[in-house]
Amino acid sequence: MSITEPTVHIVDDNPFFLAAASRLLRASGFTVRTFGSAESFLTQRDEDAPGCVLADVQMPGMNGLELQTALAQSRNPLPILFLTGHGDIASSVRAMREGAEDFLEKRAPRAQLLDAVTRALARDAREREGRARQRELRARFDTLTRRELEVLGHVVRGRLNKQIAGDLGIHERTVKLHRTAITTKLHVQSVAELTRLAHEAGLFTAPAPPCP
Amino acid sequence: MAISWVTVIWSMVASACLTLAVIYFVVWWTNRSAWAHLLFSVTAAATTGVTFCELWMMRAQTPAELVAALRWVQLWLFFLFVSLVWFVRIYLRAGSPWLAWTITGLRTFYVPLTFLAGMNVDYSAVSSLRHIQFLGEPVTVVAGALNPLTLLGQFGVLLIVVFVVDASITAWRRGDRQKALTVGGAIVFFILAGLGTSSLVLWGNVQVPIVVSQCYLGLVAVMGYELSRDVIRASQLVEELKITESGLRESEARIKLAVEAGDLGIWIRDVVRNDIWASEAWRTVFGYAPSEPLAFDEVMQRVHPDDRDMVRHAQATALAGANGGRYQSEFRLVLPDGGTRWIALQGRVEMDGTGRPIVMRGASRDITARKHIEQETQQLRQEIAHAGRVSMMGQLASGLAHEINQPLAAILRNAEAAELFLQDASPDLDEVRAILSDIRADDERAGHVIDRMRGLLKRQTLDARALDIRSLVNDVAALVRVDAAVRHVKLDADVPDDLPHVRGDRVHLQQVLLNLVLNGMDALNGASLENRRVSVSARLDGGQMVELAVGDTGSGIAADTLPRIFDPFFTTKPEGMGMGLAISHTIIEAHGGMLWAANQHGGGAVFRFTLPIADRTSST
Repeated sequence: MSITEPTVHIVDDNPFFLAAASRLLRASGFTVRTFGSAESFLTQRDEDAPGCVLADVQMPGMNGLELQTALAQSRNPLPILFLTGHGDIASSVRAMREGAEDFLEKRAPRAQLLDAVTRALARDAREREGRARQRELRARFDTLTRRELEVLGHVVRGRLNKQIAGDLGIHERTVKLHRTAITTKLHVQSVAELTRLAHEAGLFTAPAPPCP
Repeated sequence: MAISWVTVIWSMVASACLTLAVIYFVVWWTNRSAWAHLLFSVTAAATTGVTFCELWMMRAQTPAELVAALRWVQLWLFFLFVSLVWFVRIYLRAGSPWLAWTITGLRTFYVPLTFLAGMNVDYSAVSSLRHIQFLGEPVTVVAGALNPLTLLGQFGVLLIVVFVVDASITAWRRGDRQKALTVGGAIVFFILAGLGTSSLVLWGNVQVPIVVSQCYLGLVAVMGYELSRDVIRASQLVEELKITESGLRESEARIKLAVEAGDLGIWIRDVVRNDIWASEAWRTVFGYAPSEPLAFDEVMQRVHPDDRDMVRHAQATALAGANGGRYQSEFRLVLPDGGTRWIALQGRVEMDGTGRPIVMRGASRDITARKHIEQETQQLRQEIAHAGRVSMMGQLASGLAHEINQPLAAILRNAEAAELFLQDASPDLDEVRAILSDIRADDERAGHVIDRMRGLLKRQTLDARALDIRSLVNDVAALVRVDAAVRHVKLDADVPDDLPHVRGDRVHLQQVLLNLVLNGMDALNGASLENRRVSVSARLDGGQMVELAVGDTGSGIAADTLPRIFDPFFTTKPEGMGMGLAISHTIIEAHGGMLWAANQHGGGAVFRFTLPIADRTSST
């Protein structure tokens, strides 16, 4: 199941603030889900739902910063916005360094709050799109055989067919056949495009693969 | 040729006595105050005379010759007895004076009687001379009728015995047992012996010449022996004195060393003549030249005006004999060059027999360095205490802010949401109602937070007991004393002795009082040095309350700030938290009293607060 509507997940131990903030965001046109603690958010949230998280820094049990760490390691790392009773430099610096979208006071002006939420949702959409593209590319690269991937690794590093054949101990014509299969499977026309796709898919970022 | 034993013995006695007379005369000559030596010399010389007269009598060929000898004997006896009596009086430092004078008078009476009237006091008529054998040779003795005056003479001799016995007993009782026994005993023995011999001869029962001089020789010998013991003792004393003197020099050197090591200035004040002597070290510290004359009142002028009364009081108390005349004080000195020094003074007053002060001795030490360290320490301690106070209030304030922030944030977001809902063409009124009810609830929650804080403050703080206002004020005065000195603020406290105890928490009331006093001192920043005063006073306010007031001589409270000074976070100080008066206000209200502020007519502000009198039945 997948919800296409981006959702603002509010996490706060204070039920009254939770209700109030939820009302404001709903009235402002956002889809909202509320959670009374970081733990309940992590267990009850929709795994794939797009959106963002609006969390109180100080909570009993798992606090906001711990939630941020757990979220970053998950499959769906939603952008996180922090709310705090009063500005605390040490935790805000840490939160921002770990990639928090924003750090807001609970009584921050409404416009500031809504802007921050909008920005967080946009970022999520952007990141989500990037992640989807990466996944799609990976699926495409997954159709290649082991040998084809091996040849591709040499190609993206700019090596000639003759050199590749020597390295792999196969005939130069066989290398050409592999290359044709690769471009057909990945629907690319040039070596430049092939290199860009491999980079986008996060392939061959490590130094040259070891020779068997 | 046969040896004349009489001549030999009598000559020997005479020369022995004469030698002693000459020796002791010379001794007296070198030390004129040794009257005992002169008197002994006279006794010895007189004994010589008596001895010669006896020899003369024994060799007399005619009655006239014998009578002349008898007459001369009276002169020598006069010297002998009179010198003997006064010797005893001086040497034993005892003996009845009137007896001494009676004996002297009696003997003096005899001399003109024998010489001028030509009377013979022993014999009324010398009828003939007789010659008898004595020590193997013929000697002359008298035969004749006795003069009744002889009895008077014998009586005079007995008086001497009485006098000596009396003097010896007195000396014995006083503790001079050796002297009393030797001198007294010997004199009595030999005089009685002489008296016995002469009586035997005079009353004619025994046919021997008068030989009293031998007895007197014994007497002279004992006296000489005793006096020579004195000479030995004197030389021993000289030795002891030498030892004592070197001991004195040694201890003087030690004291000097101690005085120098302790950096002490010594001064001695002659209370009777109002004269001050002071050591060089003292003069250096007090800023006086070595020979500059010192007067008490002038020296007092160098004491810091704020400390003068205290120093005067300490000295007056010591002079009145309190604490055994000991006193000590620490005060500031303002030197002519404007410098200030701290001095520690310790001394003692010496009284005469009637308890009147004679001399005041003291040692003073420059403790400026120590005082500076003490002040720095004190200041540091206060800064720490202040920081503690600030951080405690800071925590309280930040806790308060955080607790209140939650409902305030909820109210804000709810209100914003309601606004948005109401913009809708067909607003969801149920939602708006729910929002309004939540806003009300959040407002109540914020109110509860404040109530809880206030309640916390009240409950935690109040350990109410019966308290003595004086000790409360003294505690706070002690806390700020150094601070006040550093900031040149004079702190006055006026609390009557007879105030009843109040009911309250000591620590928190101290905090209130401390807060008000420190505020008062802060208000004096920038005030002239002559007029920097904070005064604490207390009085009965009706039958139920005691009112305390803390006033300052600063510029007072501006009219527009006066209504706000008890508001939390309201402050006029750059580093102020604005919590001191607010908390003080809460504390006093929690005690059932009131705290308020006003400007004084003469300038400056005054803070007054009331506290309930402790219930006498419950106070302990």
